[in-house]
Amino acid sequence: MGTSAISAGALVTLQELNSSSPNFKEGASFRVTGKLRDYDLETAVAVIVDGDATLNVDTKHLKLNLRSGSMYQFIGELHIEPNNEAFLKARVGRNVDGLDINLYRQSLQLLRKFHAEQINS
Amino acid sequence: MDTLYNTHVKLLAFDFLSLSPNPSNPTDPSSFCRKGTPLSRAESVGVVVTRELKPGKFLRFTIDDGTGCIPCVLWLNQLTSPYFSKRNPSGVRLIAQVAAKFAAQIQLGVVARVRGKITGYRGMVQITVSDVVLERDPNAQVLHWLDCIRLARKCYDKFSKNGV
Repeated sequence: MGTSAISAGALVTLQELNSSSPNFKEGASFRVTGKLRDYDLETAVAVIVDGDATLNVDTKHLKLNLRSGSMYQFIGELHIEPNNEAFLKARVGRNVDGLDINLYRQSLQLLRKFHAEQINS
Repeated sequence: MDTLYNTHVKLLAFDFLSLSPNPSNPTDPSSFCRKGTPLSRAESVGVVVTRELKPGKFLRFTIDDGTGCIPCVLWLNQLTSPYFSKRNPSGVRLIAQVAAKFAAQIQLGVVARVRGKITGYRGMVQITVSDVVLERDPNAQVLHWLDCIRLARKCYDKFSKNGV
């Protein structure tokens, strides 16, 4: 038993997960959202896109029906390969078709601003 | 004014996890403070990311709302607990049935809205769950974030006794 050391998936956009960002840390937990572009049945790797940013997601442990063109959200840990490419090893995932993307993006900014305010007060 | 004490306050996980036991009510296991304001109940919306079931006893699970992980406990021991043995058996059976229904709904990966009492366990603050609703609309999580922010700014912070 004992207290689980599970980390919350930090809310990031795919653009913020590039190799030059401070987010780019091996083992860090993230919650990512994007549209499914490709899915490899053999490796269970899904490629999600958001604008011009893409991310590989290892969906091996998920019982999720993945359809190209649908929006998905995954929570998992970032793993960085020797060639500096990153993929997310997903623990959970869900279809988020119908998500208001603009509102979602704006809300991430509002959340960060609010969090910073609360910590400083 | 203790008006926040009897309502389920909507808190983001980072806010919930920083609640401290109420110094003016240290013996009450359900009394916690946010910026000097006593609270007893909370509501959160997030993804279920851990699940530990002890059949007939409890379901422990964690809700990740993107700002932190809130530990939750759902009691399933109503039929065997001495606390319930003095109450009307058919009422207790109903409570047990509802709890069992909630437990079946809490699965890894679902987004759940949970309400309950704020309690402490091994030095950590948690929710003792009284109500569960699955949220299938992906915008429900976003709505919860915005609710928490708006309520904190317009309502909860206004009750603060810390001069904020």
